[in-house]
Amino acid sequence: MLDSAGKQVVAGDNDMTQVTRPFRCRLLSVQLISLTIVACGGSGEGLDISGRPISEGGNLPLEPTLASIQANVFNPFCITCHTGAAAPQGLRLDSGISFASLVGVPSREASSLLRVAPGMPEQSYLIHKLEGSAQVGEQMPLGGPPIPQATIDFVRQWIIDGALPEPGPDPDTPPVIVALTPDPDGIVSTLPLQILASFDQDIDASTINVMTFELIRSGGDDLFGNGNEETVIPASVGLSAINSQLAVMDLTGVIPVEDRYRIILRGDGPNVVLNMNGRALDGEYLGAFPSGDGTDGGDFVVEFDLQGIQPTLQSIQDNVFTPVCAVCHSGPPGPILPAGQDLSSASASFTSLVGIPSIEQPNIMRVAINDADNSYLIQKLEGSAAVGDRMPQGGPFLDQTTVDAIRAWIDSGANP
Amino acid sequence: MTDRFSVFLGFATIGLCACLVVSAPAFAEPYLAVAKGMKCGLCHTSPTGGGKRTPYGNIFAQQELPAKYLSRAGAAPNYWTGEIFKYLAVGGDLRGGWNQTSVPGQPTSSNADLEEFLAYVEVRLIPRYLSLYLDWKLRPDDPVPREEYLRLTLWSGRVYVRGGQFFLPYGLRIQDDSAFMRQIPGINYNTPDTGWEIGLEHGDWSAQLAITRGTAGGPEIDSGKQYSMRLSYVRPTWRAGGSFSFNDSSIGDRQMQNIFAGLKTGRISWLVEFDYIIDDGTSTGRRSSWTSFIEANFAAWRGHNFKLSYEYFDPDVDVSENQQNRISAVWEYFPIQFLQTRVGYRRYDGIPQNPAQNRDQLFIELHVPF
Repeated sequence: MLDSAGKQVVAGDNDMTQVTRPFRCRLLSVQLISLTIVACGGSGEGLDISGRPISEGGNLPLEPTLASIQANVFNPFCITCHTGAAAPQGLRLDSGISFASLVGVPSREASSLLRVAPGMPEQSYLIHKLEGSAQVGEQMPLGGPPIPQATIDFVRQWIIDGALPEPGPDPDTPPVIVALTPDPDGIVSTLPLQILASFDQDIDASTINVMTFELIRSGGDDLFGNGNEETVIPASVGLSAINSQLAVMDLTGVIPVEDRYRIILRGDGPNVVLNMNGRALDGEYLGAFPSGDGTDGGDFVVEFDLQGIQPTLQSIQDNVFTPVCAVCHSGPPGPILPAGQDLSSASASFTSLVGIPSIEQPNIMRVAINDADNSYLIQKLEGSAAVGDRMPQGGPFLDQTTVDAIRAWIDSGANP
Repeated sequence: MTDRFSVFLGFATIGLCACLVVSAPAFAEPYLAVAKGMKCGLCHTSPTGGGKRTPYGNIFAQQELPAKYLSRAGAAPNYWTGEIFKYLAVGGDLRGGWNQTSVPGQPTSSNADLEEFLAYVEVRLIPRYLSLYLDWKLRPDDPVPREEYLRLTLWSGRVYVRGGQFFLPYGLRIQDDSAFMRQIPGINYNTPDTGWEIGLEHGDWSAQLAITRGTAGGPEIDSGKQYSMRLSYVRPTWRAGGSFSFNDSSIGDRQMQNIFAGLKTGRISWLVEFDYIIDDGTSTGRRSSWTSFIEANFAAWRGHNFKLSYEYFDPDVDVSENQQNRISAVWEYFPIQFLQTRVGYRRYDGIPQNPAQNRDQLFIELHVPF
């Protein structure tokens, strides 16, 4: 974008190089005669892309770091509006403030999304707004041309790399957590594939393990401490291989259960999260990031709810088969429909559905393992079956989110 | 452009304002108010302009603005007033458009969109005294409240108090939120705030004082408030005024002030505004910026308005060669009642390092206001 002298380097059909500026000014002059004003923009001499003196240090190459994104995206394009107490949507993108406004902070326009979810650009509202894919409001910058995709890709990469802050404080302070995905006290409809905890400084990788980074679910009563909790066994726990300020709990393969979940990162006890200087996590979460009370130690404890249908047979049974289908499809099993296709319990549903040919279309399995598209259950629910009525008969029909959960259960093996 | 010229331009703008003397209550299109010598509240339910029209404003828009009033042959005009019955009045504006933007060094982009539908509802709980006003931007899955307030009107309309969410009284309320004088102060149709406002209407004078959260409609972040006030003086062929706003915030105070004016010279209506803004708490400490705006509206024929505007923005008066300009030429055509088209061209001129500051834009807008 800039050459070694800090001048603009452009190409293509819309070239507007330094060579053309005198002509451009003359053109502007002609246009402004009726207003008796002739003026051109600043020459930009000695300034960075944000119009600030280069001596302030903002002339940075584009890189997937917050400092570079601040200099090349937020400062030149965003802080015209997103600054000060009255920044739109409360989103301040000034230097030194943007991280706290973005990372781990729920969007006001789309509260189910974080403005920046570390590691997950597709789940980051910032990307939705920059790329124009947001469901709510206009593409940013408002009223301006979209930021080039090549530039946005650096923002994406920064998020993939964990959305790290600018160089952190003196590591001789206790580490604190500056962001977490999923959102503390949030409600999610699907169990995230990863739980991500961002720190303000590098962490000793050996101290991120299942003893210091835990996930527990309440056991169905939304209460903790009454003995029926279940510890979730993750696929892995550790420090990100590319980001030494990001702890990752991989939940691949974990069966999602509607419940309240508690995330714990240990700052107290025999096993604690330590920084590179051996200082313990300052973890107390007081309702806002960063964590901590200013002194070493203290567990980081937050909770979130997993609500809604999950891609498991029990969840589908509880949310669909029992309340909706079993009104008619309720034993005894046999060739007589609808009762013969017994959906009154999870075990009965499994026996009636999985690997069982349809009576209406004998060449199609009611549930073909790993093949939702060719499962008669899906065709009946989506209204694409060649025979008979769409289910539930007479409607209302299931919303696509619910059907998608059933699809996901089938495509993941249709396990009992 | 040199700093000396910038200063000259600024003082020229101030001088023009000073020649005209003091402000107009904001209209969605203030040039119409200047052309007719009217206050905002005559045509708009909101005394500071914008949003739902009054019965007079509706009739004016159907009778005076279009090139032709469409009606059945021989039938007398049957004007829409928005009055459903004594306790309820409604209005709306459907907006769509297309634009093409050329940024140096980047592919030209274009976008067509049914942008929004604005719905206005006024519920007169106690007619002439107490009303509930709603202004919502409706989009699929995206209803956004713009204004929602209760308004108490006293002394035959000479005093009002409103509480809720509303657009702050500050400067000329032109429709184009991307204009520097709307974007930089941050008081525009995207940033209503929540609080209280008292307004006075006395003869040719209008005054408003608002005390709001200072968070652009967001939740409170501290105990500080934003204080916004505006004073205007309206005469049949000219008007002038000034505004002041102070946002007392723990994350950095912002003080803004402006003067603005309007003048009618034959078929041309002029608008000018000059804003000076002081921000504390920026990454480089206190920062001062200013914008200026001048616009000429030429009513060439009935139903046609040609608009030329020039804007200037200096983001930091302590930094040289960082200024930006914007020039717009717009043709507004009202072929029939309830229909307005706008075809325009904008050229931005800023520092060469930032291509977006040197873009060109063509746009077509379609409005169906009622």
